[in-house]
Amino acid sequence: MKNYDLITPEGTRDLLFGECAVRRDIESRLLGLFIGCGYSEMITPGLEFYDVFNLNSSYFPQENMYKLTDNKGRLLVMRPDSTMPIARVVATRLKDAMLPLRLCYDQTVYRPEPALKGRSDEISQAGIELIGSPLRTADLEVISMAAEALSSFGLTYSLELGHIGIFKCLVSHLGVTEHDKETIRKLIETKNFPALNDMLDSIGNNTVTTALKKLPALFGGEEVFDKAAQLMPIDGIKEVLDELREIYCEASEICGENGTITVDLGLVNKTDYYTGLIIKGYLQGHGDEVISGGRYDRLISEFGYDVPAVGFGVNVNGIEKAMAKNVQTKTANGADAVVFAADGCRVAAFKEAQRLRAQGLIVENALSDDLDTVREYAKEKKIAKVVIVNGESKEVEE
Amino acid sequence: MSKPIRIALTKGRLEKDTVGLLEKLGFDCTAVREKGRKLILPVPDANLEVVLAKANDVITYVEHGVCDMGVVGKDTIMEMRGKFFELVDLGFGRCKFALATKKGYDFYNGYGIKTIATKYPNVTRSFFEKKGMDTEIIKIEGSVELAPLLELADGIVDIVETGTTLKENGLEVIEDVAPISARLIANTVSLKLRHAEIDRLITLIEENL
Repeated sequence: MKNYDLITPEGTRDLLFGECAVRRDIESRLLGLFIGCGYSEMITPGLEFYDVFNLNSSYFPQENMYKLTDNKGRLLVMRPDSTMPIARVVATRLKDAMLPLRLCYDQTVYRPEPALKGRSDEISQAGIELIGSPLRTADLEVISMAAEALSSFGLTYSLELGHIGIFKCLVSHLGVTEHDKETIRKLIETKNFPALNDMLDSIGNNTVTTALKKLPALFGGEEVFDKAAQLMPIDGIKEVLDELREIYCEASEICGENGTITVDLGLVNKTDYYTGLIIKGYLQGHGDEVISGGRYDRLISEFGYDVPAVGFGVNVNGIEKAMAKNVQTKTANGADAVVFAADGCRVAAFKEAQRLRAQGLIVENALSDDLDTVREYAKEKKIAKVVIVNGESKEVEE
Repeated sequence: MSKPIRIALTKGRLEKDTVGLLEKLGFDCTAVREKGRKLILPVPDANLEVVLAKANDVITYVEHGVCDMGVVGKDTIMEMRGKFFELVDLGFGRCKFALATKKGYDFYNGYGIKTIATKYPNVTRSFFEKKGMDTEIIKIEGSVELAPLLELADGIVDIVETGTTLKENGLEVIEDVAPISARLIANTVSLKLRHAEIDRLITLIEENL
């Protein structure tokens, strides 16, 4: 029988020292930002019932979840997302809490990725959910926090806004089946112009199909809104465009130094529970988005509590990768001093180490009776001080 | 000048056609033409860096964002899938996916499950899935035409250009699966972070197709 006792499963990895320090640093910066904006952290279980992710609108395809059973034979999943468990908590234990609720999290999610693609199955995600406000101010709060989160890593970034309402309004004028709508959505999402044109040509040639053909090309700065308004003289579109434009302009003023906030009217995500605003964040050095979020006003009602919400999640692993490529990342903290106990002075040495730690130093106890070995050890590990405790006397060697 | 845009080209015919296109746009591709064994080559006046790779790897490099753009056949895209933008149909490298059987074989007759040999199991599966037809798919690495001749399979799904190989081996196309041509793809983040540069290149290309 083959043993797999020396390796980790594909898509997972051990994080040692420096890598671990980088992750914790990113996480604490994000949590610091969230908590500073009045968000309270919560932790949900790593295991959830399958049903939590299998609602009417079925946001998660079952092949995208790790599954197992509990001791009663019920189907469980390894949490593939944090927003749905939080929606579950809001609709149950927090149902009577005063609104708005500001919640944040920092936990791993699990998604089975295709093998040998260089992707992680275990992803560290930190994010916020602002629950109970349908207001523009809530959207702006979330956007500005996403921009601040992105800008805090010192890399080139871009925060992109979209609105699912534009696509939904356009396809509602088409009179095609749900299946065809989904095909069109997929083609717009992947900016697959050749196939999108073919598909829409087969449906007809009118203002709606022309507008849909151009939708994936409508991204960039504020000029996008003028182009869109020209292209889409269609009922219901103007309202959505105006709404997004106002959000865009205000957001740019709040946090958009030199064009870091952009729009893409072709943002139409799969598996997404979004009902309005959509947010994506990109960081130079990572080939996929590092922030994903938006407004999801109907998700929580699927758990029986009708309340609007908006939020985003940050892919911490993605930021780690971008930082590894672009910035000198810090290494794990080494010790400042090692305390050596002369014969019979163990208690005094431990007490001295405690005293030094109380001053804020990182202090190790020497685990050798031979002073030269300890000196050698300190040199090797670049520990600046060796503190020798002998009776009452303390001697410090630099 | 900013960091060059990296574009991965599928080695072989698509590479030659793309270089031809770039030269038509007026860019100096001498370094790519005289590449020797080098795999990364500059096209300085276009601020491009050409990377030569196998078709599947073009998609992998673009997906991860280590190449900003790529030129790859629709056949590879349909088989591999993945997350990227498919921006332009370049028009060259035209051929098709087709279902072929031994000449005169009545493929859709009978209740038995059909066996299909192919190098493209995903394309084959989704083609028959749309028909609601259960099939057994066998992956073959080399000349797929052998499988029906050796009676391992009832039919094959493969790339057909002229159909000569099929004809010479007593096979015939009974149904087209999908048309194929070269596509210009882009990484989802690169298109956003380097929008102006990529957009300029695409406009140039579209004007010259």
